[in-house]
Amino acid sequence: MKFAFFQGCNIPVRVEQYADSTEAVLQLFGIELVRIPEFNCCGYPVRNVDEKAYVVPSIRNMAIAEKAGLDIMVICNCCFASLMKAKNVIDRDQPLKDEINAMLAKEGLNYGGTTRIRHYLTVLHEDVGVEAIRKKIVNVCKGLNLSIIHGCHILRPREITRFDDSFVPRITEDLVATTGATSLDWRGKMECCGAALAGLNDELSRTLLQEKITGAQMAGADFVTPICSYCHLQFDTTQRHMVKESGAPVMPVLLFPQLLGLCLGIDEGRLGIARNSTIEGKNIEHIKSLLGSPVEEKKKKARPQAA
Amino acid sequence: MNFNLLLTVAVSVCLIGILLRLYVWVSQGIHPSSVAIALPERLSAAGRALAGALFGPRLITTLKSIVLDLLLQKRVLDKSLLRWVAHGLIFSGFLLLFFLHALDDQITARLFSGYVSTLNPYLFLRNLFGIMVLAGVAIAVYRRVTLRPQRMISYASDWAALVFVGGIILSGMLLEGAKISSYSTFERMVADYGDVADDAEQLALEAFWIKENGLVVAHKKVEVTADLVEQGREISGRSCVECHAPNSSAFVSFALAKVTGPMLAAGDAGAVNFLWYLHILFCLSFLAWLPFSKMFHIISAPVSLITTRIMGKENGEPANVLTRQMVGISACTHCGSCSLECSSNMFFESFDNEFILPSEKVQFLKNIASGKELDNATYKRLQQGLYICTSCDRCTNICPSGINLKELFVSSRYALFDRGIPETTMLSHFSFPLALAQLYAGDHFKALKKVEQLFRKSFTALADLARPLTLGKGQKYTNSSYQSCYACQRCTNICPVVRSYDNPAEALGMLPHQIIFSLGIGKTDLAMGAQMIWSCSTCYLCQEHCPNQVELCDIFYGLKNAAIAKIEEGGRS
Repeated sequence: MKFAFFQGCNIPVRVEQYADSTEAVLQLFGIELVRIPEFNCCGYPVRNVDEKAYVVPSIRNMAIAEKAGLDIMVICNCCFASLMKAKNVIDRDQPLKDEINAMLAKEGLNYGGTTRIRHYLTVLHEDVGVEAIRKKIVNVCKGLNLSIIHGCHILRPREITRFDDSFVPRITEDLVATTGATSLDWRGKMECCGAALAGLNDELSRTLLQEKITGAQMAGADFVTPICSYCHLQFDTTQRHMVKESGAPVMPVLLFPQLLGLCLGIDEGRLGIARNSTIEGKNIEHIKSLLGSPVEEKKKKARPQAA
Repeated sequence: MNFNLLLTVAVSVCLIGILLRLYVWVSQGIHPSSVAIALPERLSAAGRALAGALFGPRLITTLKSIVLDLLLQKRVLDKSLLRWVAHGLIFSGFLLLFFLHALDDQITARLFSGYVSTLNPYLFLRNLFGIMVLAGVAIAVYRRVTLRPQRMISYASDWAALVFVGGIILSGMLLEGAKISSYSTFERMVADYGDVADDAEQLALEAFWIKENGLVVAHKKVEVTADLVEQGREISGRSCVECHAPNSSAFVSFALAKVTGPMLAAGDAGAVNFLWYLHILFCLSFLAWLPFSKMFHIISAPVSLITTRIMGKENGEPANVLTRQMVGISACTHCGSCSLECSSNMFFESFDNEFILPSEKVQFLKNIASGKELDNATYKRLQQGLYICTSCDRCTNICPSGINLKELFVSSRYALFDRGIPETTMLSHFSFPLALAQLYAGDHFKALKKVEQLFRKSFTALADLARPLTLGKGQKYTNSSYQSCYACQRCTNICPVVRSYDNPAEALGMLPHQIIFSLGIGKTDLAMGAQMIWSCSTCYLCQEHCPNQVELCDIFYGLKNAAIAKIEEGGRS
């Protein structure tokens, strides 16, 4: 299976480890990711200013993938939502479609609508499948508590993103279960990290972030696991600025493909775990100390049942 | 006119130009007023940086950069093989011609004792190098034309550079071709170097040179018979070949001579003279023009590339940041590589503002650096162009001249904000990476306040209304989902922003459900003026939880768009 790998603007320069770890994991399942330098911004940053200018860039990106005959796989939630929104808008608005296509024709592109947009979690969950993942798991990480934060734009609005049940998401739960770690039930799981307000209203943005950090701490999380790259940057970068001022303890960040990669036996250097700026050596040691063979786990479970 | 006089003028203009531009490196810079560094400090910091690059452990990096970045031009190769071939052909062909041919007395003759310009390999090499340059120019022209749909913008000066480089080579080849066919040149050379006993021998030599070396004789009829040619070959062998290789080795000029020879034959001496002037004029005006054009990159790009190899995207001493900026601006060749892969290229299509493209920003920022006063409309467009940027750093990573565009654009953005013109695109998510980087945080905050003030001035807040609200006569709002609201206030109750405030109604101007209410009574403007829409975290919880499918978050986006459009409209009228 082959996808055009859409990383957006943040990941290649600020969260490279997200792309690297995702690529490493998917490679193990024979999924090839093609990097396309012609991709432009998904349009998301301009949405507050001009919704038409917000849609155009995603249409071009889909047209580029279409020309290459590939479906798009996205790792950033906001890019995912933008691409899905653009698809939704243009498929119902013929005049806009014609207008944008006329513009794209200048550079030999055309949006026909054949390219599918897939979030990498959907690729893992549907295209690879939980069973196939389980078969390749060499370690499980029992006892690791994660506060998953989905990020808003992957779940909502559900009519547009069509990712999962927007009230009771299962995909992340199923996937985390393969690693043996615990996905905590906590108050920030499906809420806002404040990223959309950063730079516009830093105070409010940080209030929302702090609420999530405190929530994760109170739930007893070892790590926050953000699905969205914007959430990641809030927890991994903005949190550091905040801690510098407040001296509060740091809530470290671990990305899902990093954890899954460890459980699949991928080298931690390749997963870029140490590149998360909130993670310290002791955090990594902690994860490693929990890693254990999945077979033994099964045996342990099997014995009491037999007795 | 005297060649030496022309040469002196051209060289002087070139040197003065270079000095002026070096002075600009250390005297100008783009920065918010909070950063100001005096010339002596910048000079000494630049000196320290230079010493650091040449002495000590950094020398290895410098040498590595000279090989990889300057000679092999790795940054160009990494992005495009075609560009690398084009630039490599021009770069190597031109430099080799400069040393082998233009400076033959000073360099070639000293290095190779038997140097005579009409002997091989020189005769051949000049043409080879020339054709290399021409091929490079042809690819460059092809690239500029075919990449136009991909937002490659070309200025007259970009074409001028190609015309100059191509013109120098073409005029040189035409000159050589004219000399090959010219009878008067032939006559002169025979008189100067030849060993011809009588008219019969002269005739035989002419026949041979007509047959084999492209000579054209128009004023008399020369019977070119095989016998005569053979006889001429013997005479040539004795009197010419020692210092003159066959003209066919100058394969391009020789081919040109075949075409131009018969045309120029009547006035061959004049033609040679004219083409000589043309060639010299091309060369000397190029020399004088060099420091004032993008060709100055011959000097500035190496400095920029070595600096970038050493420093990466990091800023060194504050005094050097500005100097590096100015070196960078002067190293921009307007090649357009950055704009071709700019993440914001589609915003350029939507906003109709060429300053969104990095290549156009860099070119224009020279004006800001030199302190030139511009009209407000231009400032506004430049400011918007600087702000509509995803901070993806692609331009910085791509730039073949190694310009630290990232730093240049950040500084320029906040330098322009100093002028106090509110920038509405600050209210976009382009602000997110800026908040992460925490650069010029104070300047950012100040500029944001300017936008807020503008909003307060443009809209009436609910709290400021003197009279009770009445039904508005305004048209229906475009997203009609607001009409389904049945006032349960679930949106407000679930909103994470509302719960972040002790007194949300005061802090947010209006609560989510009130915004929907105001649309219901036709008060769109009132909704547009509420702080709430700008404090919305766009988490979509309200919309998802609304029992009647009111698309609150989408409506808020629409209101934000409309509010900005209204303000921009007001600014223009």
